[in-house]
Amino acid sequence: MSSAALERQLGSIVGARYVRSRAAELLVYESDGLPGYRKRPSLAVFPGTRDEVVAVVQLLARERVAFVPRGAGTGLSGGALADGVVLIGLNRLTRIIDLDPASRLAVVEPGVVNASLSRAAHVHGLHYAPDPSSQAACTIGGNVAENAGGPHCLKYGVTLNHVVAVNAVLPDGTVTSFGSADGEREGYDLLGAFVGSEGCFGVALDVTVRLTPNPRAVRTLLADFLSIDAAARATTATIAAGIVPAALEMMDAGTIRAVESSIYAAGYPIDAAAVLLIELDGLAAGLDRDVERVVAICEEAGARGVRVAQSEAQRVKLWQGRKKAFGAMGRIARHLFVQDAVVPRTQLPNVMASIAAIAERHGVRVCNVFHAGDGNLHPNIPYDGNDPSQRERVHAAMREIMQACIAVGGTVTGEHGIGLDKLGYMPLIFSQDSLNRMCRLRDAFDPHRLANPGKVVPVRSCREWHGFVGREASLGSAAAS
Amino acid sequence: MTQVAHPASASAAGTVTHAASSAQVQEAVRDAAARGDVLRVVGAGTWLHAGRPVRAASSLSVRALAGVVEYVPGDLTITAWAGTTLEDLDRVTAEHGQWLALDPFGLREGTLGATVATGSLGPLAASFGTPRDVVLGLQCVTGDGEIVHGGARVVKHVAGYDLVRLMTGAWGTLGVLTMLTLRLRARAPVDATYAVSVAAPLREWIPAYRAASVAPLATELLNGATAAALGVSNGTTALVRVSGNDEAVAAQEKALAQLGSVRPVSNDTWAALARRDPARPTAALRLSHRAARVADVWELATALARDVPDAVVHATLDRGIARVVLPRISEADLMTRLRPPTECARVCEVLPASLWQELAPSAVSDPLSQRVRAAFDPERRLNPGILGEA
Repeated sequence: MSSAALERQLGSIVGARYVRSRAAELLVYESDGLPGYRKRPSLAVFPGTRDEVVAVVQLLARERVAFVPRGAGTGLSGGALADGVVLIGLNRLTRIIDLDPASRLAVVEPGVVNASLSRAAHVHGLHYAPDPSSQAACTIGGNVAENAGGPHCLKYGVTLNHVVAVNAVLPDGTVTSFGSADGEREGYDLLGAFVGSEGCFGVALDVTVRLTPNPRAVRTLLADFLSIDAAARATTATIAAGIVPAALEMMDAGTIRAVESSIYAAGYPIDAAAVLLIELDGLAAGLDRDVERVVAICEEAGARGVRVAQSEAQRVKLWQGRKKAFGAMGRIARHLFVQDAVVPRTQLPNVMASIAAIAERHGVRVCNVFHAGDGNLHPNIPYDGNDPSQRERVHAAMREIMQACIAVGGTVTGEHGIGLDKLGYMPLIFSQDSLNRMCRLRDAFDPHRLANPGKVVPVRSCREWHGFVGREASLGSAAAS
Repeated sequence: MTQVAHPASASAAGTVTHAASSAQVQEAVRDAAARGDVLRVVGAGTWLHAGRPVRAASSLSVRALAGVVEYVPGDLTITAWAGTTLEDLDRVTAEHGQWLALDPFGLREGTLGATVATGSLGPLAASFGTPRDVVLGLQCVTGDGEIVHGGARVVKHVAGYDLVRLMTGAWGTLGVLTMLTLRLRARAPVDATYAVSVAAPLREWIPAYRAASVAPLATELLNGATAAALGVSNGTTALVRVSGNDEAVAAQEKALAQLGSVRPVSNDTWAALARRDPARPTAALRLSHRAARVADVWELATALARDVPDAVVHATLDRGIARVVLPRISEADLMTRLRPPTECARVCEVLPASLWQELAPSAVSDPLSQRVRAAFDPERRLNPGILGEA
């Protein structure tokens, strides 16, 4: 089918104004939250209902046209980029279909914004626990595709732990359901496989998520350290003490200074080597005893001081600095490379030292802001992407940082996904046999490799890849090879 | 690797191959392929009497594939071979004030591999989740004899497709689990269990329980007979486990007292409940629905067990799951009780072999599940039939 004919047919499903094909209109879809990649879709289509999503996918399946599902485009791995293939934007599907406070469940369309679900649940004393930094913009559909995390996942778990059912359209156009909201369901955990499949296993039509009761009491602490090492020791000791903080975040000197010189200034000590933002929540009784214990642990580890927020306004301000840290770094340079890796908790001091050495060697500035309690690092590098020499040094430093994390038994992504950006690291953490098996799993969901081609698993890892499955699919996967 | 005649099998054709390494598991699977044979995968053997319709005379035992591979207590993760027993893991982790928060019903002599392969859960699932929430990484041998791994040894990981979730609860039909990495929990300073009498009708009691200032690790509702057998009380009882510092626990004890008469009991009561299952019951099954419907689920479960001697009925309130164990019941009686359709979901653990197909239709007969099976075990060499599939 010619591209004009495809555009007409898509238009007949969703309405002509919801199909975009002019270069100028497609420009905004050329990137996601990660700088450095620009890929232009052939067309962008914006279905407004579940039935339209199904009809669009069925048309594309029939015509063997590859596609990329996209939510808010806040992803940080290039996963939502469509390289010459059709982009399906799901941000018109924003209905909260059902909210069942008695069972603490919500059924939402994929385009519902993460934070707006929590706002809707608030009246029932509930919230949606996974809280990525982009929660004001990112969508539940995107969160499901990426198995998104966030600071409060330390205590409450990641997206996977909160999704109980998904209705989806598979890349071949079949509508199916995974998981169940109404009791246990036997069989393979296809829901578990779907969550975090980065849009390669189909498109979610609706998602049933678990809602979490709002904590009855919350205490937020800021501990101030003169070395990253001491902050890392306090992290390990807190968790080993049998206290599970709701969140335990670390920010280093570079991040503190970026935040404090921005409009998000939170009152962090600008001469500290690191701060820990620690939140304890739960029942009111005994909570202050846990606070005392954590303060003592931080002091034993060498904290210069520990401040406990005395009001909701102070608490919000402390968090604002953390949540907007990436934005604050935007003031330092034109581009920001946000990295994501996970290391065993006890390796944090080693790895932080390695990262500092790597940054120095390459003459780049690393700002660390991360989920210390989980060992989930975000070493970020502000840089000017228009300067080829800077770009090269940033990429070289990032590669070495990833290798350092892998060397201590870590992994290359804890919550951002592989997307396009991390394809090259996959063979460093998985054997060829494991990668090949992932390809075969993908083929079970998407035999024609139409959904988000060229992402997650390097195409050359797929043993029986013939190099040509369909014109569109091969176009998309060229980026990966 | 050793091969011996099957000790428990009446059909003398069957042999048991004992593998003590991943390479030996791989070799056994490849040998079976060369012979055109299929294999039943076995750990401690605690599931052999569940009546599941496995079509395999030969067995592959991973019981000897045991031991801890890596344990750094500060990381709160542990990597162990699949044949390691839960009690061995309990012992190793307890030395560091930690625990594996998986407490499936049955014996702690059961293996880690079987717990994950069957997706078995217990009361702690209410707060810590099921095996799918606890397993971080794994290694397995696929049905065509390749060693594959998924996940990682760290607590957060989203690289690649999630083979961990797929293998968990797949009953060994996608791969023989050989090694697992699990998330551990640090023990809180105080960990206490209370028996709370449920005198009010359950429909009234549950909203009060949910509104109470308690954050239990586990809350298990017991029928009167089970509560009596455990020596905690004589009527319907909620067994509630709370933890934290002493102030937090004391306040929760007070909050529980608003719900009924409260008595502190030993934490060993949980192990006693897990062991309460008769050795070879005729049937064991779980009924479930969304949490708000748990009173309906409980009614159905108690009705199902009515007048069955020594029936065990208990429910994980916060997950909306009730479990019924019927020690001795005729097949005809069982059919009468289980045949009528209900609104509840039903998962069978143990059934008479002859009733399995009718009462527990396969949940993996859909085309996608079949394609997934084919991606990992194209010849259906591992545990064929165990999920009721043709």
